[in-house]
Amino acid sequence: MERGKLVVEKVGGRSTLTRCFSKYPFKFIVPNKAGSSQADAVWIYTITYGGGIVSGDSMACDVTVGDGATAVLTTQSSTKVYKSVGSNCSQQKMEASIGKDALLVVIPDPVTCFSTAKYSQIQNFKVVPESSLLLVDWITSGRHQRGEKWAFSHYKSTNHILLQGSETLFLDTTLLEHGRDGSISERLQDYQVIAMIVLLGPKLKLIQSQIQENVKELMSQQLRLPSISAGCSSESGGCFRLPKPSFLASCSTFGPKGTGVVIRVASMTTESVYNFLQDQLASLETLLGAAPYR
Amino acid sequence: MECGGEANDDKDKSSSSGSLRLWSQWQLLDSILPTGGFAHSFGLEAAMQARLVISPEDLRTYVIHVLENTGSLLLPFVYATAMSPDKQTWHKLDRLLNAMLTNEVGRKASTAQGSALMRVAASVFSETPSLKMMRSEALSSGAVSFHHAPVFGLVCGLLGFEAKTIQRAYMFVTMRDVISAATRLNLVGPLGAAVLQHQVAPIAEDLSTKWMNRAVEEACQTCPLLDTVQGCHSYLFSRLFCS
Repeated sequence: MERGKLVVEKVGGRSTLTRCFSKYPFKFIVPNKAGSSQADAVWIYTITYGGGIVSGDSMACDVTVGDGATAVLTTQSSTKVYKSVGSNCSQQKMEASIGKDALLVVIPDPVTCFSTAKYSQIQNFKVVPESSLLLVDWITSGRHQRGEKWAFSHYKSTNHILLQGSETLFLDTTLLEHGRDGSISERLQDYQVIAMIVLLGPKLKLIQSQIQENVKELMSQQLRLPSISAGCSSESGGCFRLPKPSFLASCSTFGPKGTGVVIRVASMTTESVYNFLQDQLASLETLLGAAPYR
Repeated sequence: MECGGEANDDKDKSSSSGSLRLWSQWQLLDSILPTGGFAHSFGLEAAMQARLVISPEDLRTYVIHVLENTGSLLLPFVYATAMSPDKQTWHKLDRLLNAMLTNEVGRKASTAQGSALMRVAASVFSETPSLKMMRSEALSSGAVSFHHAPVFGLVCGLLGFEAKTIQRAYMFVTMRDVISAATRLNLVGPLGAAVLQHQVAPIAEDLSTKWMNRAVEEACQTCPLLDTVQGCHSYLFSRLFCS
């Protein structure tokens, strides 16, 4: 099966798309002017024919960002994964290589798996110490308006950052699957969106510290010591309880000397995550020519 | 006519070493072992302050989710070192787990508990000198984080416990510690905690069976909400626990 290919390299001092090959069922769109022409970045939109991933679809793509170049991978709308037929599992696989002083920004809309869908994605990133990477990987519970909340069968997402071909810097595999001892929605309670944001590398240093500060401030306001009445049962009623925070986030560093930052988010609305991403990533406008998630 | 005598002696020896192993097993699973497990709440304290866990019913659900996530993410690491309790396997798995425990709070807790367990095991089980050797080597190299799950598998593997037992035991100590944290957080009383522990046991057994004997390539997290909430622990203004 042929794989899609994207190569962004510095040509004549500017980041340039030198190779672009896509194969059904996906396609790349590269607008000439995605943002201000002063910024040196190539924006690439991935779209799927039919607007979604159909049962059994399998897509693979290799992305190379050459030394000093900047590439942005994004989508036009949320990636919908349709219901699975039989035991078919849809798959997406991306192998990315980021060079020295290069920046890869992966800022898709969320994945939305419909009822009974089965989906797995693997994203491998090969980096060197001077590479920078911004990765957003997120999923919503489904078509909430239809009452589909975490009604899909299987979702698995693996993100792997490999340093200099041998050292695993970061590896996260999230698996959401109905189990005997509880459904997915039980594990996620009232939260409808989960997101993971990874920031790595010298070009994102400033934004890393800003986000850590912002999340700490946001969350400190949300977390309260349980009051004396917190232990009372629901039958007795009349206990005043603060509701659960509708937006939860936490930051952690990873890698030697904390070169990377990962933010995990759980939210009751998709909108609040879009707002969070807009706000936190706004300062990237100068680097990328346009602000992510506008 | 005493040809049965030697065979009986061997049987006696192996049954007595098996019995001795039981005493070691019980000591390892006893909460009185000074491994500092009491300092960690597995994200329960943060979950309470975020109002995700309020009632005893919430607690029961929370314990089950912690067990599920422990099974899916950590049991493969316990299994791997239990099956090959040697230096190379241990170091490799320790490094890998360090990259997979992406929540800083959980990562530090794992290191703290693993170091304590290794230290205690090296002192207590002196008849297994490789424990002490591996520990001092690892300490001087500075390249080992002493994550809890691989250390647990390593220690139990070197002591000759069976792999299934070791994995089940890891789930047991996790359950024991979360429920113990719940009593100190006043979420449930000591008697209620004991009742809860027994009620959850069949589910813990199911989860152990489901997640045991898997390769580390299959390790994954199944409760991302838990990871998010535990990561909030460092934002708590007032806290009882380290994690």
